[in-house]
Amino acid sequence: MRQVVKAPVMIALALVVLVPFLWTVSTSLKPLPEVNKYPPEWISPNMGLKPYGDMFFYLPFSRYALNSMIVASSATVLTLLIGSLAGFAFARFQFTGKRALLLVFLLSQMLPGASVIIPLFQLLSSTHLYDTHIGLILTHTSILLPFVIWLLYGFFTAIPREVEDAALIDGCSRLSALRRAILPLALPGIGATALFAFLGSWNEFFFALLLTNSDSARTIPVGIGLFVGEYSDVWNQMSAAAVLFSIPPLLLFLLTRRTFVKGLAAGALQ
Amino acid sequence: MKRSTPYLLLAPALLFTAFVLAYPLVQNIVNSFREISLIKGAGSWTGFGNYANVFRDALFWLSFRNTVVYAIVGTVLALLIGLGFALLLNDRIGKITGIAGFLYTIPWVVSPVVAGFAWKWLLNDTFGIANHWLVSAGIVKKGFSWLGNPQTALLCVAVARVWQFYPFAMVMFLAGLQTIPKEQYEAAAVDGTSPLRGFYHITLPNLRSVTSVLVLLGVIWSFNDFNMVFVMTRGGPINASMVLPVLVREYSFVHFDVGKGSALSILVFGLLISLSFVYLKVLSRRESL
Repeated sequence: MRQVVKAPVMIALALVVLVPFLWTVSTSLKPLPEVNKYPPEWISPNMGLKPYGDMFFYLPFSRYALNSMIVASSATVLTLLIGSLAGFAFARFQFTGKRALLLVFLLSQMLPGASVIIPLFQLLSSTHLYDTHIGLILTHTSILLPFVIWLLYGFFTAIPREVEDAALIDGCSRLSALRRAILPLALPGIGATALFAFLGSWNEFFFALLLTNSDSARTIPVGIGLFVGEYSDVWNQMSAAAVLFSIPPLLLFLLTRRTFVKGLAAGALQ
Repeated sequence: MKRSTPYLLLAPALLFTAFVLAYPLVQNIVNSFREISLIKGAGSWTGFGNYANVFRDALFWLSFRNTVVYAIVGTVLALLIGLGFALLLNDRIGKITGIAGFLYTIPWVVSPVVAGFAWKWLLNDTFGIANHWLVSAGIVKKGFSWLGNPQTALLCVAVARVWQFYPFAMVMFLAGLQTIPKEQYEAAAVDGTSPLRGFYHITLPNLRSVTSVLVLLGVIWSFNDFNMVFVMTRGGPINASMVLPVLVREYSFVHFDVGKGSALSILVFGLLISLSFVYLKVLSRRESL
């Protein structure tokens, strides 16, 4: 009985919530005359994938997509490497300054991007890293690190110490214990953290906007953010870009959401 | 060797944090005390001159007010909606609950830029579906420019922000709900407590710590949010939806007055730190009572 009432309510709510996104998908499939038609319609007779092709042809989005791929995947790998070392140190060692350092990482999450952007801009300009992939990769890595360290700290703490002790008794060094005994167990957590890092870099807009100024390094969100003002008459092509750009995050989320949600909750409820 | 191991493991992370966060922050504080332009470079020291300039600027006060409104609306509504959805999802009725949970989370997974874009297009005065519905329902006579009107622009951006943020609150509330021991409800049921009273006396108190984390994060993140406003309105029309992070960019990169931009960003940071500090103090005092 409960099911009969609740299931339709749940689906109806999902539809309401997704209206903005569904409207974008609908627009991305329409030819321009039907986009600029009143009254607007959800389904039109000439829908197709043409705006997607046009978008790649008329707007520099294939270049932006390449840039986004390079930046987000490099930043993810780098963040995970550095973050798991730090997370492991926090989870397994007692040392002077531990609390203070944890606090530093926690506080740096509060730092507004606006408070570091100008010196960062100057620093990258003087080292010729402004408007480059490397500049963005390094920036994204450091803004993602604090939260990644917190997540991994939680995941590593949850792994029983005995696993590591057994490896140490078997003659492993601390580092190889990390690699052989801990990492395999922490893999789901690391996967979820990787998703977070990838999404963070892939979706990041503020730094990517202000630390690039040519198509050679601009990422997709910068492209969309800039074009919204300037080429707003091609709403269907812009919508196509927005939809394509959302597919990798959605797929990744679909694959790892269970672990991810668990990790997020664990970290927050600590 | 053994004693230094944790520090060695932490070194790379600290190095990154130092170069890309700590150094720029310190440099930014230095910049806020001197005349410095993006074009002409650094000039003389001005003491608190830049800060005084910020306080004298009427646009700063307008942006401050807007940011507060944006943060409050964005956080309160997102928490209420998130709680509602979490309660709905907590009562599992089979596979559909998982699917609905995934669908409800989508707004949070897509980029803020995509979210801003989608809402901007949805609210388009002539071709957006939202206005078409409102006209059909007889609420407005003809398509209304929600983002082009100083009265409504900020609230519309805040609604888009709620849309992006509520799934995070939902996920956290759901995790909180799942830690509440079933026995508490069972005991209440035996006592004949109504579900509404159960919600008030069992559910809400158990969610207190999640709620306090969410309020803190929600306010901090909304205060620092640049994306939604920039993509949807760039702070317009006539600064009606200008918020502090966008104003920092305006000062530094549009007017090239880096000193003033730095001073403003330090003010925002200081405000957030003191706000969190007071908030955490109040919370911990209440816990100990």
